[in-house]
Amino acid sequence: MALRRRTLPSGFTLPSIHSLHPFFTHQTVPTTLAVQTEHWTRLILSYARHARLFTLGVEDADLKTGPWADILYNPEIARSVKPAHLESLIATLVAQGKAYYDPPKQTRTVLLLWRTLDEWAEVLFTWASDTGQLNTILTFYEIQEPELKSELSGIPTPLLRRAIQALIKSSRAQLIDGTEGGGVRIFASTR
Amino acid sequence: MHRRAGIAGLERKNLSREAYSALQTKLSQQQLDAMQTQVDHFRTALQRFARSHRADILRSPTLRGAFVQMCTSIGVDPLQGAGPSRNKLAELTGLGLGEWQAELGVQVCDVCIGTRDRNGGLIEMPELVRILCRMRGLGEDGEGGVNEDDVVRAIRSLKPLGAGYEVVTVGDTRFVRSVPRELDVDQTALLGLAKRNGGVLDEDSVVQTLGWTNERARAGLENMLLRDGMCWVDEQDPRGLVYYVPSVMVWEDD
Repeated sequence: MALRRRTLPSGFTLPSIHSLHPFFTHQTVPTTLAVQTEHWTRLILSYARHARLFTLGVEDADLKTGPWADILYNPEIARSVKPAHLESLIATLVAQGKAYYDPPKQTRTVLLLWRTLDEWAEVLFTWASDTGQLNTILTFYEIQEPELKSELSGIPTPLLRRAIQALIKSSRAQLIDGTEGGGVRIFASTR
Repeated sequence: MHRRAGIAGLERKNLSREAYSALQTKLSQQQLDAMQTQVDHFRTALQRFARSHRADILRSPTLRGAFVQMCTSIGVDPLQGAGPSRNKLAELTGLGLGEWQAELGVQVCDVCIGTRDRNGGLIEMPELVRILCRMRGLGEDGEGGVNEDDVVRAIRSLKPLGAGYEVVTVGDTRFVRSVPRELDVDQTALLGLAKRNGGVLDEDSVVQTLGWTNERARAGLENMLLRDGMCWVDEQDPRGLVYYVPSVMVWEDD
């Protein structure tokens, strides 16, 4: 049996291990499981980055369609990731700091951090600076749905808030309470 | 010789025996010397050859194999610095084969460890050679490539380090095992079957093909899975549990 890489119509290339039937079964042997989990978490994050997916939930498992079906389901070998398996993968992502539970106090849905919060903070700062919007008040909506598509298009509000918190920590932003969800003012770098 | 009685006869007999034995010693000494000279000549020739064709030897696997074999047959170790100083040829030729082999040994370790996660520490020889050739950016077995014999020699030279690398033969395929663990008879049979089935094993096929009882097949498969970590299990097959042995599967590089 030959295991091949497969390129999806979207241009994303699945690794050859994705065509290994047992890749979709939660392995029991610790060493094997560690390898499998490592491959899965890497695949989830790189696919999320490619497809700009921010959330992953246990509900995404075992579906033949949906945003995650391309990687959680392999129609060529009729195998799919089962919910319990996905939940444990999600737990690993959280433990590695590559995701966090959102909303908190549950373990079924996460926000994925294929960029760290500090990286998102930098992206936000660079974007504001490049578009000449430093020192002005920006609403969340203006950041999330800019007229010109940006790296930040579609970023979920909780993630954006955390990125802003990171900027505030380095004294480069200020949150402004407002009527419509609030806004943020980003200062020119003091460094 | 006509035998005569008396003291004189006995003395003569002793005398001739001494003469014969002296002659014998002289003759064998001469033979030994001649042999020594021949070996010396051969060594010199080998040295000259090694010196003038150093690059070729390091580049071509076939020539290297023949050369090493020749060295071994006259009792010289072509590995420079690998042994005590009686290793004259190697010192003189400065062939650097030892260094070359040590380097290959390190690469073998690299590949074995790097692929251990997917094959459980058992890699097929052709696959190993293929990866090594690619690592070195060279064609397979051709110009500058390495072949199975080179790998076998490199692994042998790793032995003193106690790395526990070993070449095992299953059916007609050689494997390199990088985890210190013996393959028992059942494991070997299962591995052979997996190899023929493209890496896929399940209890029924083992029972049918190898004529084992279900218990033995199940135990063997579970050992392979749980004890040796050599295979992955698929629970989504309608046939029941199916075991996959990645080390006998063909992987496209990612």
